[in-house]
Amino acid sequence: MAILDQGPPHYKKMLPPIVQENYGQWKYHEIPSPGVLKHVAESGAALYSVRVGSPRLVSVDFVRDLCVIADDYCDGFLRFTTRNNVEFLVSDEAKLQPLLDHLDSKGYCVGGTGASVSNIVHTQGWVHCHTPATDASGVVKAVMDDLYEYFNTMKLPAKLKMGLACCLNMCGAAHCSDIAIVGVHRTPPRINHDIIRKGTEIPSLVASCPTGAIRPDPKNKSVIVNEDKCMYCGNCYTMSPAMEIYDPKNDGIAILIGGKTSNARTAPSFSRMVIPFLPNTAPRWPETTEAIRKIVELWIANARQGERVGEWVERIGWEKFFSMAELPFSDMLIDDYIFSRETFRTSAQFKF
Amino acid sequence: MARGPADPVVKAKVLEYLGKVQKAKSRDVAVAIGASKSDVDNAVKELTAEDLVEYLYITTTFICLKGKVQTPD
Amino acid sequence: MTEKKTPLLDELETGKWPSFVTEIKRAAVKSEAAGELLQVLEKSYVQRRGHWKHGGIVGVRGYGGGVIGRYVDEPQNFPNIAEFHTVRLLQPSGWFYNTKALRTVCDIWEKYGSGLTNMHGSTGDIILLGCKTEHIQPIFDEFSEAGFDLGGSGSCLRTPNCCVGPGRCEHACYDTLEACYNVTNEFMDELHRPMWPYKSKIKFSGCANDCTSSIARSDCSVIGTWRDTLRIDQDAVKEYVANKFDVQGIVCDKCPTKCLTFNAETQELSVVGEDCTRCMHCINMMPKAIAPGKEKGATILIGGKSTIVQSAFMSWVIVPFMKMESEDDFAEFKDLMRRIWEWWDEFGKSRERIGETIYRLGMTKFLKGIEVEPVPQMVFRPRANPYVFWNQDDLDRSGTALDGSKL
Repeated sequence: MAILDQGPPHYKKMLPPIVQENYGQWKYHEIPSPGVLKHVAESGAALYSVRVGSPRLVSVDFVRDLCVIADDYCDGFLRFTTRNNVEFLVSDEAKLQPLLDHLDSKGYCVGGTGASVSNIVHTQGWVHCHTPATDASGVVKAVMDDLYEYFNTMKLPAKLKMGLACCLNMCGAAHCSDIAIVGVHRTPPRINHDIIRKGTEIPSLVASCPTGAIRPDPKNKSVIVNEDKCMYCGNCYTMSPAMEIYDPKNDGIAILIGGKTSNARTAPSFSRMVIPFLPNTAPRWPETTEAIRKIVELWIANARQGERVGEWVERIGWEKFFSMAELPFSDMLIDDYIFSRETFRTSAQFKF
Repeated sequence: MARGPADPVVKAKVLEYLGKVQKAKSRDVAVAIGASKSDVDNAVKELTAEDLVEYLYITTTFICLKGKVQTPD
Repeated sequence: MTEKKTPLLDELETGKWPSFVTEIKRAAVKSEAAGELLQVLEKSYVQRRGHWKHGGIVGVRGYGGGVIGRYVDEPQNFPNIAEFHTVRLLQPSGWFYNTKALRTVCDIWEKYGSGLTNMHGSTGDIILLGCKTEHIQPIFDEFSEAGFDLGGSGSCLRTPNCCVGPGRCEHACYDTLEACYNVTNEFMDELHRPMWPYKSKIKFSGCANDCTSSIARSDCSVIGTWRDTLRIDQDAVKEYVANKFDVQGIVCDKCPTKCLTFNAETQELSVVGEDCTRCMHCINMMPKAIAPGKEKGATILIGGKSTIVQSAFMSWVIVPFMKMESEDDFAEFKDLMRRIWEWWDEFGKSRERIGETIYRLGMTKFLKGIEVEPVPQMVFRPRANPYVFWNQDDLDRSGTALDGSKL
């Protein structure tokens, strides 16, 4: 019988000696080269962290390979980051270059520090989710391959944090990313009345709709969807498998930009939609990779040093962004949901 | 939730109530049997360990008598 | 198993970024389930749709979560993934590991499951992807024996997580690793035995850079800050200047409150402490010269969540400053969380996150319910409408009789 409620393994058992000895006594850090962080403690001790990209969905053999490297170069310690990168923790400076050489020879991707694009935080997609409007891992792979030159260098105006959510549930919380890739449905759910009659709780299903588009149909012991009110969020499908909403011809990707969660300089902000739809062109989503590259390159060419995507767009104005990016503006980009009014321009100040 | 051993009277009432319904939120059980929510949660903790009650995650988490609700096909 | 072709997925094995397809194939060498996953995924790539059904009822004895049921929609064609459940394990604070612990995870998972994992899930757990119903209890028993425990799923406290904190970061204003460990252990019942209207998440970030993105993706964000004035090492400032670092342009001009002044002549940097909003920009730019103040703690914010249903919310301030140094301070935090959850448990609707409950019922009612006094730090600006809900106490205190006397 298992021990209940023992909680997580104690982190202190997982810390390398240099971290134990200098815990809470770090003084400053530098980035000697892309993908390498050097943290220096009050004691003078220096810890090198070598950051390596990971697809996040990995086999146990991938993890075992990491363990071999950590044993050889890091006294058996490593960590993962909030963005699912791996960090090898090197306390012996003499082992740093040999580690970097080894990682290079094995094809590992070292980078993701400072003014670079970091790993894309993402969801499960077609691999394991029941409500996806697009794949997650495949889109991430395609975009990261395309932007790789910005992962292993630090030549961007500022850091670029991207997120991907394969449906509007947004498990990856992409909604505050510099660039967010979001899977969207565009057609209403198809009701399977038999499944509803077999045991769906109709009041819960009706209550699940944020726009009140679903109403009971007592005569049929089922529900009716007012398709004009539906904005395809898929929340009803989460409530009941009778409300199938996937649609291979019409599902796809929306691009939102300009969000951040850090408080540095400006307050945290939501990402805003700039492209309402791109098709699900598996396996490499060329329309999506191209659209993102264009936005990134426009940002590189026009932002001031240190400006995140959202800070740059807010400085020049969104109207200016749309003309510079040559992106069509449409009614689809004007909010008509609950908190829309705060996005309307209640001012005579704007640019032509 | 309440700490320490659960009240056997509350446990019995929870079992009795769950016998009458398919599944329920523990808050509704508390109202129905006139006990505090935290006492019900504590009783449910023991009843699940005794394999008499189980949790169901169907968009939100419910409780039910063990085995009473089957996986929807 | 006969070798089946996956031409679309194979295209995702080219390119510089590491390939998840290669990883599934590695797992498929040892696991038929992983092999079938590859086939189903290829089918999804052809048909541009998912093939996974709603979760069913799976779990371990004594817990209400930690395992998420997952079933493929064509079990007759893919018998090895007819059941392909997810197991969540509580990760060590800060995702630090020794290789012994990591290998233990690999060995147990390879024995029973598909051999595929996410390091890590969005909430922070170790995610083990794909096992059969009959193996869930043995998997838990064996992980338990090895010192691991299940994470949260369902209407419970989801697995808390934290940034690297004092383990490796000079910015950490409190011990995020200890706070996360301590608080997770305190709320084992709330994590393992779902009892609430919906999920609730806590994330611990050591400073306002908020590396866990707590403000966007947790119901309770604990963000490190300080109450006195940031500290400036003038010798280090001079070193930056000597290295041609543009203190005025990169630091002072970008300070949102313009509280920093650089004297080019004396090469000294000064700060008006009371104007500083502790955004971290100057510290990020000049970590050798500028450090947080000495009186450190955390700001507690509430209500963050993602888009479904009412729109995405970012957490907002409810406690501007709380000390987070000792066990007593953690006790104050834990006490606050209990009051917050109790209020939400009483008034929240099913599948309503706490931010939505507060939004529906009003901050006033929420603050009264959790016994927290209103302060101006909670809002960007006060209300612009006059629709105040007055209660009898306020009327008794402020009303005046027609003859001018106090009521």
